[in-house]
Amino acid sequence: MDIQERLTKVFRTVFDNESITLTPDLTADDVDEWDSLSHINLMLAIELEFGIEFSQSEIQNFSNVGELLECVKTKLEPS
Amino acid sequence: MKKVENIAYAGLTRFIENGEGEKELLLWVENDLSKTSFSYSYFETMSNRIAGILQEIGVNPGDTVSLFIPRSPMLISCFFAVLKNAAISSILFSTLGEAGLLDRLSNSNARVIITKKSLLRKIISIKHQLPTLERILVVDIDEDQNDHVLSLKRLLSKSSSAFDYPHSLDAETPAFLQYTSGSTGKPKGALHVHGAIADIEKSFKEIMQLQADDLYWCTADPAWITGLVYGIIAPFTTAARQLQYNGTYNADNWLKLLEQEKVTVWYTAPTALRMLMQEEESKFSQRDFQHLKRMYSVGEPLNPEIYHWGKRIFGVEVYDNWWQSETGSMMIANRPPMKVKPGSMGKPREGIESFICDENMRLLPPGKQGLLCLHKGWGSMFRGYFHNDTAYAEKFHGDIYVAGDLAFTDSDGYFWYVSRADDVINTAGHLVGPFEVESALLEIPEIADVAVIGADDPIMHKRIVAFVKLRSGAAWSKELELKCRVHVSNKVSTSAIPAEFHMIEQVPKNQSGKILRRVLKAVYEGKDPGDTSTME
Repeated sequence: MDIQERLTKVFRTVFDNESITLTPDLTADDVDEWDSLSHINLMLAIELEFGIEFSQSEIQNFSNVGELLECVKTKLEPS
Repeated sequence: MKKVENIAYAGLTRFIENGEGEKELLLWVENDLSKTSFSYSYFETMSNRIAGILQEIGVNPGDTVSLFIPRSPMLISCFFAVLKNAAISSILFSTLGEAGLLDRLSNSNARVIITKKSLLRKIISIKHQLPTLERILVVDIDEDQNDHVLSLKRLLSKSSSAFDYPHSLDAETPAFLQYTSGSTGKPKGALHVHGAIADIEKSFKEIMQLQADDLYWCTADPAWITGLVYGIIAPFTTAARQLQYNGTYNADNWLKLLEQEKVTVWYTAPTALRMLMQEEESKFSQRDFQHLKRMYSVGEPLNPEIYHWGKRIFGVEVYDNWWQSETGSMMIANRPPMKVKPGSMGKPREGIESFICDENMRLLPPGKQGLLCLHKGWGSMFRGYFHNDTAYAEKFHGDIYVAGDLAFTDSDGYFWYVSRADDVINTAGHLVGPFEVESALLEIPEIADVAVIGADDPIMHKRIVAFVKLRSGAAWSKELELKCRVHVSNKVSTSAIPAEFHMIEQVPKNQSGKILRRVLKAVYEGKDPGDTSTME
C-alpha cells in the first residue's frame, strides 16, 4: 500500500466515512466532520500510522491534503 | 389566541409584497473567497419550491423536519420552507455523530430529514431506530435511491415556484427546536414559537443598532442558536445587509473579508477571538479595518484580556452579551452607548428582568454570587423542552427561570458571569453534557468506568477532561487514546472530544452511585476535594 492509500485509510477511519477520496486540494471545508477538534484526531492517527511526529506549527498550518502528503513523504525519507 | 406573522412571511414574503424582492440581502462567500449575492426573491422562490415538495410528501403543520446539512443558502431556504408549512424546523450540526444524531431525531419525532450525500450514511445507519422517519431528502443526488431516500434536486426540477400559506398564525405555533445539553440525560430540544419574532427583532435593533449602510457578519453556524436567530431570522426580518462565510475558522480569510468587504458590525465568539489572538501581529497590522464600527461576542465569557486585545487590534469597542438556547434572544448585553466594563456581560436589555438569587430563590444584593435568574414571560422564551415536561418544569421556580449559570451584579447594575451552576461543559461555545461523553467512552471495551469534567482552557474556555478506569489487563496507549477520541467524535460530536485523558483507580461516586465531579475537579486543580464522607 503506498503512502496515499495509507493516508486515505486513516482519513476514512478517523472520519468514519468510506467515501472520502483524497485529492491534493481537499481541505477541511470539504469534509463535514473535519474541524479543528477532529483535526487533532487526524494528526494523531497519521503519526501512529506512519511512526512520525508533527510539530505544533505543522499541525496548525496544513492548508490542504497535498501539503499534508508532502510533509508525510518528507518525514519518511531516509535522513 | 393572538395572531402573529409567520416568521417566513416576516423574513421573506413581506418584502416581495413590498416590491423589495431584488434587494441584495446576503453576500455569500465560499471558502475559496468566491462570492455570490442573494436577494429576497431567490430565497422566496427556493423556499416556495421546497415548501411545496414538503407538503406533497405529507408534511403537516406541527411535524418536525430536521435539517442536517451544513450552512448554505440551501439550508436557509429549507428553514423558511419548513416554516411556510407551519412545521417545526430542527437544524442539526453536521459534525454530530450517530448517537448524537439519534438522540435528537428520536426526541423530535422527525418525519422528514433534509441532508446531503456525504451525511446520508449516518442517517441510514440509525434509521431502523427512527420509526417516525418517513422520508430523507438528499440535496446532492440526481436520482431517488428508493421510496424513502429521495433526490431533492430531482424534486426541485419539477416543483412550483409558488406556494400559498397563511401569512399569520397563532403566536404560540411552534417554529423551531434548538437542542442543548444538560448535566444528565439526553440532549433537550428547546421549543420556540413564531410569536418570538417581535422580541428577536427588538433585541437585534436595540443591541446591534444596524444602519442601512452597514454590512453585518455573524460568524455562528445556524445549527447554533446565535447563527439561526441572529444569522438568519433577525437579519432577514429587519432587512439587514449581511455577509456569511462558508468555511471553518481561517484567520487569513476572516481578516481579508473584514477588510475587503468592509464589514461594519461583526458578531463572533470568544474562542474565535482567542484563536485570532495567537496569530502574528503583522497579520493584523497589514490590514485596514477602518470600516469596522464595533464587534460583538457571545457564547462564553469574554475575558478582559481578549476584550483589550480586540479593542487594540481592531480599534473598535467589543460588546459581550449573554443568552441561551432557551432564552431565544439576547438577554443581557453590552451595547452602545453604554460604557463597557471589561469582563462583564453588560446589563439586561429593555423589558428583561434579570437578577441573582440564592438556592432558595431569595434575591441577593450586588457583589453576592448566586444563580442567574430571569423573570418569566419575555416573548422569545422557549415554550418547553420537546417531549420532556419534567426537565422544563425543573428550570422554573414559579415565575422565575433559573438559567443554570452562576453570576453576580455590581453596584452599577452590570452582570458578571462566574461559571455554570451545573456540570454542563461550555467548550468553545458548545454545551456538552458529561453524560453523553461518558456513555460513548463506556462503549469502548478497554474502559471499565469513566467520569468527565470541564477544566479551564486558554482558548476554548473549558476543555473536556476524561478520567478513565481501565479494565483489568488493559493498558493505556496512544492507540487507545486515538480510539477513544475517534469514537467520541463519530458517536457524539467533534465538540465532545476529550482534550485530556487521565487514568484513575476508581471513579469517585457517592453511595447512590452519582459521580462526584467536584472531587475530580479539585484533584485536577491540585485543590482540597473537601468533604468526601458521602463517597462510596
